[in-house]
Amino acid sequence: MDPQLLISGVIFGLSMASVYFLMSIGLSLCFGLMRIISLDQLLYYSVGAYLAYTVSVVSGNVWLGVLAGVVVSGMTALVVERFIFRRIYERELTFSMITSFGILIGGVGVIKAIWGVVPRPVRMPTPDLVTIFGTEVPVYRLMVVGIAALVYIGIWLFLNKTIIGKAIRAGIEDVEHVEGLGINVSRLFTITFVIAGALSGLAGGLHAPLIMVDPQMGLEVLAFVFMVVIIGGLGSIKGTLVSSLIVGQVVSIGSLIYAPLALMAPFAIMLLILLVKPTGLYGSTMVKK
Amino acid sequence: MVNAFKWWWGILLAFGMLAAARFFLPLPFVNEVLIFSIYTIGCSFLLGRVGFISFGQPAYLAFGAYGTAFYLFYVGTNPYVGILAGVACGFICASIVGPLFVRLRSDYFALVNLALAVIVFYMMQKVLAEYTKGDNGLWFLTNIASTPVLNLGRSSEFFIFATLVAIAVWGLYKYLDDTIFGACCLATKINEAKLQFLGYSNYKVRLLAFIVANTTTALAGALYAVYLGSVSPEITAAARAADPVVVTILGGVGTLFGPLVGTLAYTALRDVLSKFIGNWELFVGFILVFIMLAGEKGLWGSAAPWLQKLFSRGKAADAMGGERR
Repeated sequence: MDPQLLISGVIFGLSMASVYFLMSIGLSLCFGLMRIISLDQLLYYSVGAYLAYTVSVVSGNVWLGVLAGVVVSGMTALVVERFIFRRIYERELTFSMITSFGILIGGVGVIKAIWGVVPRPVRMPTPDLVTIFGTEVPVYRLMVVGIAALVYIGIWLFLNKTIIGKAIRAGIEDVEHVEGLGINVSRLFTITFVIAGALSGLAGGLHAPLIMVDPQMGLEVLAFVFMVVIIGGLGSIKGTLVSSLIVGQVVSIGSLIYAPLALMAPFAIMLLILLVKPTGLYGSTMVKK
Repeated sequence: MVNAFKWWWGILLAFGMLAAARFFLPLPFVNEVLIFSIYTIGCSFLLGRVGFISFGQPAYLAFGAYGTAFYLFYVGTNPYVGILAGVACGFICASIVGPLFVRLRSDYFALVNLALAVIVFYMMQKVLAEYTKGDNGLWFLTNIASTPVLNLGRSSEFFIFATLVAIAVWGLYKYLDDTIFGACCLATKINEAKLQFLGYSNYKVRLLAFIVANTTTALAGALYAVYLGSVSPEITAAARAADPVVVTILGGVGTLFGPLVGTLAYTALRDVLSKFIGNWELFVGFILVFIMLAGEKGLWGSAAPWLQKLFSRGKAADAMGGERR
């Protein structure tokens, strides 16, 4: 294969991996701590992208739009958590899944009502190209990768160095003991959910300039995000990172070889991994207590 | 003879009422209700009896629909053979993915199924576009030959056929409820370890249940294909993945008549409301959230005890089986 094509393919794959990683981290954290499957993360992704569109059109600055997307999707997540998820933490897993799917579908309806069904373009923040090994690569894609890396480091520091982060990690192991230590678990859940929603919003805002923003965009990445989460194993940040890198590269390189492979290959990999290890690469056998 | 009648009368009454409704409700509506309720009963069985939540039902619907469509478009003209082809296609596909899927925990099962629905959508839209004609879909209404006894090309006669099929499907599921297999399904949902202890294989019970439920779903897909005379990738879109789950929960999870009652309510609401509200997803989403928060008993689940009370004054009290949950 042409090496120039390969390099741009790898960069493309890395930027896709970054978006998938930011999205699946939310799903993974929510499952790890609260034992819910929060499909509505895909809604916050669309919210982030639409806010990036609107604010960038109004103010002319895409970065401001991305920031607005993060804030608004975090706030949406807060409202949803307060009014809906708070009531269903105690219920079984399928319950949260059905409810969050309802929120996702309903939210897509709200987005259609506000912005209409026409796909909207978002301007690239920087049209510059940079040359790596003789291949021209858009700077913006590298920026997306950089931001995702920063987020990973930030999440790592947050979970390992702050007291709230340590409480979240302890909660993933055993919620009842954390509660016994006098930590307000309900507030912990809220914080985690809002972080997850804001990260999904960030993913949407960052992805918006690379694609067209349309109401169904959440459902379009749905399959990829699921594959990332399943391959990596629910509830594991490290697994999410590894599997998003795998899926991103497979999607990108696969589509260079033969276009339909882009979607089929990750699915085949997922089935293979599930055959060997039904809980994914890094997934534990955690069950709802 | 009397026993057989007792066993059947609930189903016959339900569909008799639906058949009577045909005379004062528009025909497309009743046909839609019949097919959709067959579509839903598979999902209801998986969710209520086996404890599997499947957002991937559109994928199995598509297997059935495309099986029929390929036959009628490329090979033959007989709609009955077409429906058989669709069911066979659904059965084969369910048997292939089943062994992989039923080993998973219920959360992974749901995610993988939804991923499957999305994959099948892309496959039909892009990868196999040469054979499926992509977004345009396959149109074969004129290919359907008229058959002697019941001419499926005419919707009034299709209605009779669909009613008979639905009665057979409901009979099958009622029968399954009464067998040891039905009991095993419930047991695998409630207490896996105990079922294993009794000497049954959880894996085999689940696999069989999965195949039965999804072959039923494929049957609904095949009926859709013949009824509409066209199939497009739209039927497996992820946005519609919630439909069977919504109807199942609306009707009452795991009850025999829940899917029928749920479908009636859902289709009626959709037809009435879509005249006023253009935004259909908004409504589906919020009704789903609302039902879940209100307690997931559903329409039939709430009405059944009340009905049972009403009928238990009469003689045929114990014949109202099926809605034991």
